[in-house]
Amino acid sequence: MASISIRNLTKRYGTFTVIPDLNLEIADHEFVVFVGPSGCGKSTLLRIIAGLEPISSGDLYIGDIRVNGVQAAQRDIAMVFQDYALYPHMSVYDNMSFALELRGTPKVEIASRVKRAAALLHIEPYLDRKPKELSGGQRQRVAMGRAIVRNPKAFLFDEPLSNLDAKLRGQVRAEIKALSQELKTTMVFVTHDQIEAMTMADRIVVLQSGAIQQYDTPEAVYERPANQFVAGFIGSPAMNFFPVEWREERAVLSQGGTVVPLDGETAGRLAKAGQAVLGIRPEHFAVAPEGTDGLPISVKLVEPLGSDTLIHFDLANVSAIARVDPSLRPKVGDRINLRPQPGRTHLFAATDGQVLR
Amino acid sequence: MTDAAHNERWIRWLNTVQLVIAGAVIMAPTVWMVLSSFKPSFEVTAYPPTVIFAPTLENYVELTRTTPFLSYALNSLIVTVGSTALGLLFGIPAAFAVSWTRITWPAILTLAARMAPGTLFLLPWYVMFRQVGMIGSYTALILSHAVITLPIVIWVLLPSFDAIPRSVFEAAQVDGCSVTRILWRIAMPLVASGIAVSAILAFVFSWNYFLFALVLSNGDTKTLIAAAFNFIGEGSTQWGALMAAATLIALPPLLLAALVQRWLVSGLTLGAVKG
Ligand SMILES: Nc1ncnc2c1ncn2[C@@H]1O[C@H](COP(=O)(O)OP(=O)(O)O)[C@@H](O)[C@H]1O
Ligand SMILES: [Mg+2]
Repeated sequence: MASISIRNLTKRYGTFTVIPDLNLEIADHEFVVFVGPSGCGKSTLLRIIAGLEPISSGDLYIGDIRVNGVQAAQRDIAMVFQDYALYPHMSVYDNMSFALELRGTPKVEIASRVKRAAALLHIEPYLDRKPKELSGGQRQRVAMGRAIVRNPKAFLFDEPLSNLDAKLRGQVRAEIKALSQELKTTMVFVTHDQIEAMTMADRIVVLQSGAIQQYDTPEAVYERPANQFVAGFIGSPAMNFFPVEWREERAVLSQGGTVVPLDGETAGRLAKAGQAVLGIRPEHFAVAPEGTDGLPISVKLVEPLGSDTLIHFDLANVSAIARVDPSLRPKVGDRINLRPQPGRTHLFAATDGQVLR
Repeated sequence: MTDAAHNERWIRWLNTVQLVIAGAVIMAPTVWMVLSSFKPSFEVTAYPPTVIFAPTLENYVELTRTTPFLSYALNSLIVTVGSTALGLLFGIPAAFAVSWTRITWPAILTLAARMAPGTLFLLPWYVMFRQVGMIGSYTALILSHAVITLPIVIWVLLPSFDAIPRSVFEAAQVDGCSVTRILWRIAMPLVASGIAVSAILAFVFSWNYFLFALVLSNGDTKTLIAAAFNFIGEGSTQWGALMAAATLIALPPLLLAALVQRWLVSGLTLGAVKG
């Protein structure tokens, strides 16, 4: 068990800089998820922590030890790979006991640890099988079992759920979270799926082009995104963005000039900035009675989800989505008056996308 | 019958004819050799060749009576096993290192050495080995034959090692394996059949290699194939005995080649180690 500390880390492949000057502190016992679009450097960062990629410059500490020059084999970290990377010629038992055997753990203790991990992951019946005799889900469990028998300083996961079908993914997601609460070990989990990030993390690192966009709790990342990228990446369906400006003491859409009803505090920020990008999540629209203040829209497409209904519409040349109560029974062509819920709108600088405070 | 089907039959028929002709051309000397070895010695060179004859083992008896055939066979075995072992000892780690680091020039170099004519090495070696007094030693022969076995081992194993997913090695690293232990505990078991194939191929090529032993051996260490060359023209050539010798020399490679044939399929398609 250990904290992980990354200071001024840079990673280059040749002349291509994947990670420019990154700082990150992961506390002991913390479950941190790296999330970001494909190619943003999540795996690279994780592999640097594991010791599988050398650092170009900067420092990496695991616990109090600077591990820049320490080999992966000596870091005492466990990793679950996207393709599981089980040893094909070894039985499930041998896959799980291998690391312990290398450390010279007594046979009796190995047996009891493997048994305990196998019970925890419900893979006891397969201990004698070879990996190729297992289903994808079972292999995934063996890969996790191989990690947890070791009692390492930290667990690293590189998109371990991406090869599972949707139902299994949800199930294993919950299991990993439960496991993390039971094991109380530092965990770093990489995913491109913001739902996995939101559901599992104590804190989320949102990455783009190798730079941390925001590092905070799931609630904070959702409620108070630091910039337009984070706002658009976290949440599904994604946040709607409309260019707005302050004209004649009112907030209006830059395209078309429709008046946007904003709460006083938000309006004040816009007044200061002059123009901005207004962000509203689909779930933060309220349906306003006709004739009152609101954004008049015409329903373009309806997606009933059961618990909610999504309506698609065009507003100010932006294609947008609102999540409404299914009892509204909207139909294509209906004219609806939408009002942003007070206090749930976001304003981002039109220039660099940073949140306006 | 359509034209296309007609053409196809023609092509198939021509293919068969081609194979039969090629097979006959390739196999004829071998068949002649084996048959001759069982003919009474006066019939071996008879013209036209006799097809019906009373088989006899007299050539084989003659061979063992007049030549130290068994000690030559032992020499061949020592040199071949030694050079194959040497090839495996260095070739397995070398192939793994090339696959691991993706630095390919050492592998290319060994291949170039294998493709170069043997005579290129022969003179310098002769001089070198003579200066250290090793001409005629098994060591000199084994070392020289490693030029045959090493590239075979490396080039047979390289694709097998390459086919193992990188993440398997990385998982082993994270689990606490040093690179040498990864080779020993992970990579070698996974390419086991490739190792067997490379060992057999190396054995066959080393067994058959003739030039180095001809020059670097002496009367005590002469390999079978080099010795057989000397059967020709020492006084009158004993054609029957020579055929018997040739048949016996060809036997181990033929048997092993037959074995390889079955293994090649499973050995060289080891790519299927994926989870
Ligand atoms: N070995 C490598 N050599 C060169 N570029 C690489 C290498 N590995 C990754 N990259 C590049 O680094 C960037 C980040 O990759 P990666 O960390 O795998 O992204 P992610 O896991 O977030 O999808 C990508 O642009 C990728 O092309
Ligand atoms: Mg990745």
